[in-house]
Amino acid sequence: MVKDYKGVRALDEVSFTVEPGSVTGFLGPNGAGKTTALRILVGLSRPTSGTATIFGRPYRELEAPGWHVGTLLDANAQHPGRTGREILTLGAMMLGLPRSRVDEVLELVGLTDREARRTFRGYSLGMRQRLGIAHALLARPRVLVLDEPANGLDPQGIHWLRGLLRQLADTGCAVLLSSHLLAEVERIADRVVVIGGGRVLAEGTLDELGRGRDLEQVFLELTAKADRRAA
Amino acid sequence: MSDVTVHGAARAAGETAGENTAPKPVPFHRLLLVEARKMADTRSAMVMLGLLAAMTVVSIAARGVDAGPQLGRLTTTAGIGYGTLLPAIAILAVTGDWTHRSALTTFTLEPRRGRVLVARCLPPLLATVAASLFALAVAAPVTAVTAALQGVPAEWDLDATRMLGWTATNVLLIAMALAFAMLLLHPAAAIATYFVVGTLWNLVGNVSELGREIARWVDLGTAVGPLAAAELTWMDAARLATAVLCSVALPMAIGAVRALRAEVR
Ligand SMILES: Nc1ncnc2c1ncn2[C@@H]1O[C@H](COP(=O)(O)OP(=O)(O)OP(=O)(O)O)[C@@H](O)[C@H]1O
Ligand SMILES: [Mg+2]
Repeated sequence: MVKDYKGVRALDEVSFTVEPGSVTGFLGPNGAGKTTALRILVGLSRPTSGTATIFGRPYRELEAPGWHVGTLLDANAQHPGRTGREILTLGAMMLGLPRSRVDEVLELVGLTDREARRTFRGYSLGMRQRLGIAHALLARPRVLVLDEPANGLDPQGIHWLRGLLRQLADTGCAVLLSSHLLAEVERIADRVVVIGGGRVLAEGTLDELGRGRDLEQVFLELTAKADRRAA
Repeated sequence: MSDVTVHGAARAAGETAGENTAPKPVPFHRLLLVEARKMADTRSAMVMLGLLAAMTVVSIAARGVDAGPQLGRLTTTAGIGYGTLLPAIAILAVTGDWTHRSALTTFTLEPRRGRVLVARCLPPLLATVAASLFALAVAAPVTAVTAALQGVPAEWDLDATRMLGWTATNVLLIAMALAFAMLLLHPAAAIATYFVVGTLWNLVGNVSELGREIARWVDLGTAVGPLAAAELTWMDAARLATAVLCSVALPMAIGAVRALRAEVR
């Protein structure tokens, strides 16, 4: 797909596929267009041209998108006066899920009952990420779209997230996550898509891209090459 | 060749062996419940609602002491709070999701944004009808008590058309507040505009006869006068209709079109 903002081409013919049963890491320097692509994928903005589909249909045309796709785009985007539990309760109400599901996801992401009763205003970044992940998991979706979910998580949190995403992928979920934590992506992801300046620079399994080198080397090489071409 | 595709698993999978029951689109009544709940699920929202209730009781009681036990008059005294705090509450109900950016979550769970917007505007309007009934419920005991204390007979007769006119006036003014909120999507700007517009039209009306005539056709605050007094002529009704178009429908439509098209940030 292509996405233009006034005078800026944020995405330039970006095209890739995410398969079920896999974790796909979505990488690229700041401003590469990762968030833009994920926002288009879940119908929050429209592409200038091209399409983004999930199960073969644009997000907005899915029967019940909230049931099939769990999304976390910005952990900070919540009303500061609501408690964590209230934010999840609103989500569960929208999806028609029982309230017990709120307790389940809270426990799953490791937020205590006391923390859940505090207002969002006082949450640390890591707590916000956990809450956002809990929200994304409410309906046990088959597809997960996560924008930098590991950002702000403590080492235990990152370890836990890795295990969770692995388990989800193994049960057939399609997981797409963007991240700047290359060492982490290297351990979680089956495949990576690297973009830079709105273009796909490389796509494939870690072995295909790395051929012995680590992901950081590959990433720096790819983005440096792209910068030279742009200059 | 420019697209992004996510292929899903054939079956639902979760972190446990749990299975989804047949997923359905979000029904409208659920949206309505969620949006109504959002009006009262923070401390500040509860404080505002409590203040409104307190203001209603106090103003009705004070008017009772001052004007004597007249049910109808005491009921409409609640309009003081309903003309000030209630519009602010309604505006916050519409703008909150945008200012705190929780619209990101709302619109991923329900991408049919139009339905969300309707579900969001209905609770404040319903609350206004409830508030009008609440005023009556407060005014009745105040009338009885005042009559007993002052030793004068209570005036219980309630002009039904007057009450309906008053309630309809409250609802229309809240609809205008909602429209400004939809247009501006910013709480402070919408609240300020709501009150400044009223003052400006007053000024225009005072400056010239022509200005007053225009205000009668365009400004809702002016046009609802005859409705509130339950003395609506056909001419007044026509003015009211055009004022609703200009002050409610137009800003609401512009706001809705933008909200449907714009990027959710
Ligand atoms: N609303 C907007 N208006 C104008 N330009 C925008 C807008 N949103 C994004 N952009 C531009 O699109 C490009 C891609 O931004 P995007 O947020 O997708 O990057 P990103 O890969 O998520 O970066 P980061 O790693 O910093 O999160 C940037 O050049 C950015 O300036
Ligand atoms: Mg980003």
